[in-house]
Amino acid sequence: MQRPNPKLRNFCIIAHIDHGKSTIADRLIELTGQVSKRDMEEQLLDSMDIERERGITIKLAPVRMYYTALDGEEYELNLIDTPGHVDFTYEVSRSLAACEGAVLVVDATQGVEAQTLANVYLALDNNLEIVPVVNKIDLASARIEETKREIEDVIGLDAEDAPCVSAKEGLNIRDILEAVVKRVPPPEGDGDAPLRALIFDSYYDNYKGVILFVRIKDGAVKVGDTVKTFRSEKTYEVTEVGAFAPALQPKERLAAGEVGYIAASIKSIEDVAVGDTVTDAISPAEEPLPGYKQVRPVVFCGIYPLDGSKFLDLREAILKLKLNDASLVFEPDNSVALGFGFRCGFLGLLHMEIVQERIEREFNLDIITTAPSVSYLVHKTNGEEFFVDNPSHLPAPSDIDYMEEPIVRAEIFTPPDYLGAIMDLCRDKRGVFKDMSYLDARRVKLDYRLPLNEIVYDFFDELKSRTKGYASFDYELAGYERSKLVKLDILLNGEICDALSVIVHEDHAYSRGRTLCENLKDAIPRQLFEVPVQAAVGGKIIARETVKAVRKDVLAKCYGGDITRKKKLLEKQKEGKKRMRKVGSVEVPSEVFMQILKTNKDK
Amino acid sequence: MAGIYVHIPFCKQKCTYCDFTSFPNRLGFAEAYMACVYKEAEMRGKELQKETFETVYIGGGTPSVIDPNYIYGLMKQLARTFHLSKDPEVTIEMNPGTVDAQKIAIYKRAGINRFSVGLQTANDALLADLGRIHTRADFEACARLLRGENFSADVMLGLKGQTKEDVRDTIALAADCGASHISMYALTPEDGTPIYTDYLNGELPDGDEVAELYEYGKTLLNERGFLRYEVSNFTKAGYGSRHNLNYWKRGQYIGLGVSASSFFYGKRFTNTFDLDEYIKCILSGHFPVVESEEVGEADAKFEFVMLALRTVFGISAKEYKKQFGSDWKEDFRTAYEKTRAYLDESGDVTRIKDEYLYVQNRILTEYMT
Repeated sequence: MQRPNPKLRNFCIIAHIDHGKSTIADRLIELTGQVSKRDMEEQLLDSMDIERERGITIKLAPVRMYYTALDGEEYELNLIDTPGHVDFTYEVSRSLAACEGAVLVVDATQGVEAQTLANVYLALDNNLEIVPVVNKIDLASARIEETKREIEDVIGLDAEDAPCVSAKEGLNIRDILEAVVKRVPPPEGDGDAPLRALIFDSYYDNYKGVILFVRIKDGAVKVGDTVKTFRSEKTYEVTEVGAFAPALQPKERLAAGEVGYIAASIKSIEDVAVGDTVTDAISPAEEPLPGYKQVRPVVFCGIYPLDGSKFLDLREAILKLKLNDASLVFEPDNSVALGFGFRCGFLGLLHMEIVQERIEREFNLDIITTAPSVSYLVHKTNGEEFFVDNPSHLPAPSDIDYMEEPIVRAEIFTPPDYLGAIMDLCRDKRGVFKDMSYLDARRVKLDYRLPLNEIVYDFFDELKSRTKGYASFDYELAGYERSKLVKLDILLNGEICDALSVIVHEDHAYSRGRTLCENLKDAIPRQLFEVPVQAAVGGKIIARETVKAVRKDVLAKCYGGDITRKKKLLEKQKEGKKRMRKVGSVEVPSEVFMQILKTNKDK
Repeated sequence: MAGIYVHIPFCKQKCTYCDFTSFPNRLGFAEAYMACVYKEAEMRGKELQKETFETVYIGGGTPSVIDPNYIYGLMKQLARTFHLSKDPEVTIEMNPGTVDAQKIAIYKRAGINRFSVGLQTANDALLADLGRIHTRADFEACARLLRGENFSADVMLGLKGQTKEDVRDTIALAADCGASHISMYALTPEDGTPIYTDYLNGELPDGDEVAELYEYGKTLLNERGFLRYEVSNFTKAGYGSRHNLNYWKRGQYIGLGVSASSFFYGKRFTNTFDLDEYIKCILSGHFPVVESEEVGEADAKFEFVMLALRTVFGISAKEYKKQFGSDWKEDFRTAYEKTRAYLDESGDVTRIKDEYLYVQNRILTEYMT
């Protein structure tokens, strides 16, 4: 049996948001001379505009480095950057499956925080060797010893020899590389066995087709090999393999243990799924690699082009995004108010926001996003039953015998200090308490049954804000339960706006209807006529607000005949109007359709 | 019909809402500046020999702050360099705190026959708050000097703490003092002016309150025989400002002086806003134009509609056809259909319904392409 290269180390960096993960990655790349300092752009791995602007990492980005250690040996290191936000836990788990070790970055001024814990548990689940690193020691408020003690007490890792660094100042970066080389084990696997390569990411290249990001577990792959995946019968001839430098750098072959990419003129996006295993088409492996836990979309919403004629452009954009965002699901949909678009499923609200932003930026499309929903099981009086995730597709109340809503079994991990706050929150969200257990002195696990519908509104946000970010939350679907649900319609100027309908529990209908009307009243600009905003359940009005008619909208007198300036002012006003959608006779700002979700303030 | 606008960029003190080109500390430049305006008039006059000018408007700043002999000299120069019509309307803007009998006598000798007096409000506390240098008493004195003359008073709405009583009082004062014309316009808080802070802190009346004051003022003005002929302008029969009407009819005008705008032969252009640059340009024999725009046909059509709809005279289909050779309702079919509910039509003329004149922006934006 041929063992993988013993001088190979595959690792990732995990951290709470803002603890300096991307900056550390930049320094490591710089130190190993992968990219000259001159070409170094801040946050090299965060290549999307959104990532740089928000200072967060969404997509995982791999890079290969060569490092000559103090023992005189040269090591090949593959670093896979990971996102920090809870919505992207899925992306994290994908990177983790391609590694043997994880560098855990902790900010010396902040100490151990919520996301630190969540990611550590993920890494431990994947049997990764964890190398703690204390960052930001250059800051006056750094508490190095305290942070080390926290790592030991809260996480239970030995932090005695943890490298203490400043990524910003480039201090002690070499210590991290030494620790990786010493502590992270080389990959295991059999170089002689049939090829098994785990796809952990992919994207579409206009010239090369789909580029697969893979970790070779067994065997090897080279140009000219014929490969296939386990899920599809199609075979492909490999046209290029290589490493991440961090740009794609072709090489002869990828051997067991290595991280790299495969291009095989794959044109169809649907044929390759992240988490699938690539194997040799002629002598395939018997079993695929375990892959990933299939993620289920949690939040559904409609996405429509602001300009109705751009539907095909939107379709193209979503298809391309799907390729390197495996968790995005979608199907065509249409709305009376908004025309043709897509019903999309996401991992969470931030994920939804990011997808929306990527469509707008990377594809230069203006879109409207509707309020999020979940998938309900409807039983009609005639015996039919089917799923509905779009409130406007719900049958008339008289045709519905009863409805079921998705319930989740939720596990909430928290330091004991926030137990009360979390229980209050769960009660507000119709949660049913199941169990509570102390994992250790610092960590409690709460088990709840919660309607998914309550979670998608603002559960994450509320949980985070009520526990200062310390609680982490995981759940799995626990089937459907019969529930008293109603469709809440919004009428603008007497006409139902289907894109604003939401499905809510009967007991919440009145209060939510009232909040929705209040919020819409503030969000809809005043028009030339009075606009009643009403909430209705089953044709019965339960709340009403009024957007008063505008009374003053005029330019002051023409000073010295400066008509050019006057035109410019009107043009500016016209620009603002472009972000509006006309619903019946009422101009509605496009953000309103999504913002309606930020209304769950009813008690 | 064409007009001449002359900008006098001097004042005693900047008002808190003012974002116009005016320099309170540079009165010493008046001599040099006026010499340049005379020169600019000569340069422009050569280009516009064929044109007849029916109106002159001397605005500011505060034109009445400089030595009246400069105004006299200006009118002499305009008469020499441009072809003025037989009975031109000649207006000068005045601050009531800067006039005396002698000044007005010189103005009249210069040919000025219309006076626009910046009253703003009759309430001394509000005047002080605006940074105005005059008082109610100053206005009364000024009006006595103007007895028998055609004069207009400016009235401002939307002042901090302004009440209906203020508006009533102000309109009564202007009317009783003999104004033949009243401009009643809303304060626009511009970024960079002192009053903008008040606006940001919510200390100024909001749009609804201003609209309320406007409605109230409009009723009072009507009662006193002042009829609205444009969003902000009310007049007794026969005293409408010909100079301003020319703007709204998309007539041609030449602007002289710093920051002045012009519209001639299909082109809109604006002079520099910088006093020193203006003087340098003129002294070296160049026009001090910093912005210039050739108005295309579509743009011209929109301007026609936008300006005409400001007035109660509205759009004349005949006039439009004469200028552009097409039917305006065809040219703006979609916008016209969309906004029909807000328009009054009688024969040749289409105007914005009385009750929508004060919310016309969102009607006008429909007409923009």
